[in-house]
Amino acid sequence: MSKPILALHDVSLGYDGRPVLQHLTFEVEEGEFLALLGPNGGGKSTLLRGILGLMAPLTGRIEHGLDRKASPPGYVPQRDTLDPIFPLTASEVVLMGTYARLGPLRPVGRSQRRIAATAIEQVGLTSIADAPFWALSGGQKQRVLIARALAAEPRVLLLDEPTAGVDPGAAAAIMEVISRLNREQAMTVILVTHQLRQARPLVRSVIWVEDGTARKGPTATMLSPERIAEVFGAGVG
Amino acid sequence: MSTFVQILRPDFLLRDALIGSVVVGLVCPLVGAYFVLRRMIFLGVALPQLSAAGIAFAFLVYGMTFGQHEHGAMGERALAMIGSFAFTLGGLIALAALERRGRETIDGRIGLTYAIATALTILFLASDPYGEAQMVNLLKGDFLATTATSLRGVAMVLAAVVVVLLAFRKELLLVSFDRELALVFGKRVWVWDGLLYLVMGVTISLGVTTAGPIVAFGFLVVPPLTARLVTRHMLTFSLAASAFGGFSAFAGFYLAYLADLPLGPTQVAFAVLLLAVVASATTLRRAALRWSAA
Repeated sequence: MSKPILALHDVSLGYDGRPVLQHLTFEVEEGEFLALLGPNGGGKSTLLRGILGLMAPLTGRIEHGLDRKASPPGYVPQRDTLDPIFPLTASEVVLMGTYARLGPLRPVGRSQRRIAATAIEQVGLTSIADAPFWALSGGQKQRVLIARALAAEPRVLLLDEPTAGVDPGAAAAIMEVISRLNREQAMTVILVTHQLRQARPLVRSVIWVEDGTARKGPTATMLSPERIAEVFGAGVG
Repeated sequence: MSTFVQILRPDFLLRDALIGSVVVGLVCPLVGAYFVLRRMIFLGVALPQLSAAGIAFAFLVYGMTFGQHEHGAMGERALAMIGSFAFTLGGLIALAALERRGRETIDGRIGLTYAIATALTILFLASDPYGEAQMVNLLKGDFLATTATSLRGVAMVLAAVVVVLLAFRKELLLVSFDRELALVFGKRVWVWDGLLYLVMGVTISLGVTTAGPIVAFGFLVVPPLTARLVTRHMLTFSLAASAFGGFSAFAGFYLAYLADLPLGPTQVAFAVLLLAVVASATTLRRAALRWSAA
């Protein structure tokens, strides 16, 4: 069994002291491909924010198996959270990923530009690297944000609904990129999604977030037809 | 043309005022770029007004404690600077703290700041037993009162502002564009926000005491809006904003001198004219591109 990269011990997460999720206890192993699934408003994004360290647990503790300074996580937010007023090209957005390992007063140099170019190549967007970020399609923007996460040279990649609002072809391309990173580079992937069909053939385990708590299990169990029918009613999934 | 040559001569009587206004025109847009990108434009109105209230407060307290100050002395400018900086920075910190609580809308907070600052300025002035009339010039700001000594001080402080903005460009960009990513990367977001607010406070205080609230607001906001229309990279955006600001300051100075117009308002009017010209040209260019593509 490989070493856990993340461990939650009886964690509660919430806002203004009021818990949204309670009694969260699970581990994520290195190289795992994991989906956070559940109904809208169930607390998937809250759990992701807790894992990212964007909110402190109300109770319990979260242990990270990696030193976050030495090995920063790759984070792909929902693209709508970014403001289109910033005049940035796709490559400038990707270059921001390299800031994770650059201290103050250390300028962006050739090495960072090379890392960014490689990350853009990995998501297949070299031809539009100099295009304005805001002129890109939804799917392209999402791949640019994945490239930005890769430019941090992470061992863990966390993605918040990367296929939300993009067409099925672009969504398939995004999922293929993520799956390849997990397969070929043994990158740990934690993916928030509500698209069961896309996630099911790719992920090895699922955390089901519902009713103020979360349960982890293998994909085959957590997304079995019986369980899907139990949660959503027959004919879904 | 002879007027143009005249203002460029080293022995030009208002040379310090010309250089001072161009320096403010070059530097204010570099800071103003963050006002525009962080969608805090109206803070550019409220903070200079708060700075003016700080100036009036500093003179009121000085007058009540020590008596009348000497008009035109360096101490007067230093006093204005202290009051302006204290109020501007205090206002920025209070607004940032309220933003974190997020209970009211940002428009409401900025509107409230502007209303309070304007009322306080008038109240402080009315309560000042010494020289309400003398104070008006300081509150309006006047490039023409720039001396060689004050110019050196302004240039040195604004040069430091430019160095800070360039040296920490990537950190300031990251916390402005994607605050969550900065937190995920373990960056001390509050340090970089604090540094940016400090730089904003210093620039606004200097801008207001040198040029007045209206001119400071004009140079903070109008050149970045113009630059946003013609650039698509962060660095070129900042440099273009600075160039538009410097050019507006110089051209405004020339026009004001030529036509005997008030200096600050002429410079702001020129900056707005430039924005209108660039916006029209950009719209026409886009229409032409659409037409040729159809």
